[in-house]
Amino acid sequence: MVRRILNAEKKTPESLGKYVYCVIPYLKERESFGNLGFNAEEVYTLDYRDLAPVVSDVAYRDYAVDEQEVEVHRKVVEQVMKEHSVIPVAYGMAFKSKKLLQIAMSAGYQAMQKAEQVVDCKVELGIKVFLPKDQENMSSTTRGEISSNFLQCLKAVSADFKNLKLFSDRLVMNSAFLVDKKSIDNFSDQVGLLKEKYNSLMVQYSGPWPAYNFVDIHILGGKRRGFR
Amino acid sequence: MFFIDDLLLRSLGISLPGLDMIWTLEQIHKFALKGYYNPDKIKNQIKETRLLYEFGELNRQEYEQRNSELMHKLDMAQKVMEMDIGSKMDILG
Repeated sequence: MVRRILNAEKKTPESLGKYVYCVIPYLKERESFGNLGFNAEEVYTLDYRDLAPVVSDVAYRDYAVDEQEVEVHRKVVEQVMKEHSVIPVAYGMAFKSKKLLQIAMSAGYQAMQKAEQVVDCKVELGIKVFLPKDQENMSSTTRGEISSNFLQCLKAVSADFKNLKLFSDRLVMNSAFLVDKKSIDNFSDQVGLLKEKYNSLMVQYSGPWPAYNFVDIHILGGKRRGFR
Repeated sequence: MFFIDDLLLRSLGISLPGLDMIWTLEQIHKFALKGYYNPDKIKNQIKETRLLYEFGELNRQEYEQRNSELMHKLDMAQKVMEMDIGSKMDILG
């Protein structure tokens, strides 16, 4: 009797919740990226027309910002990025079933097709220029000059860029650059030269990341409910 | 029972010292809450803390402690925003 109840409650993979890490171009067959997902579940592709969401099976729940869980999401995307151009998906995108995921894919299909062209063979690289404590009173004119010098040099070796929020008074520059995979070395060389030139400043060079700041697709309402 | 709303009195130009004091204290309290529990400001502090750790200005222990305090503050701030503390509720309709 107990076993019958347990069997009845056992969910089929179709009805399990799906957590979406990113979307990649459609592959001819289902691809597995190993057991890298939440609760060490398998990360694999589903197919929707010419796109393939990369998912793992999950019990549906709300995904609050948690450093360890964000790290799981990041590691999966990092793995997928090694072989594919990815359309990034915001952390916390879980669907109650495969059917609901397909509905969301259908709603965002056109926007995702456009995004696919933007991210094709490209990655995002981040640059933050931070003032050491003894220089935090630097004038806004000098800050502006440093920032525009960085931008001028790095724009020349990138396809696009975005200035991001200066979330600290000590931040002089916080920008994301969309760079062709073939130009990464070139971009890194430029960053190296700038670091030498401004060696008294703290420069953080990060990436390659999926193009989070160059793809902004919102399908469903709510802060954590939409591709971006 | 008859209730006199302080805003009604204020709009009529009537000032009662006791009510005025309560109103002032309410405004200060509301302003302090908004300043202290500002989710955007706290999110910026979380990002800044991470950056300070990545640049080596904070060690792991300092980072974890500060981050945990800020995450707790953010959680509180979001609850405060949801509850909209500080706004008056008209329970009489």
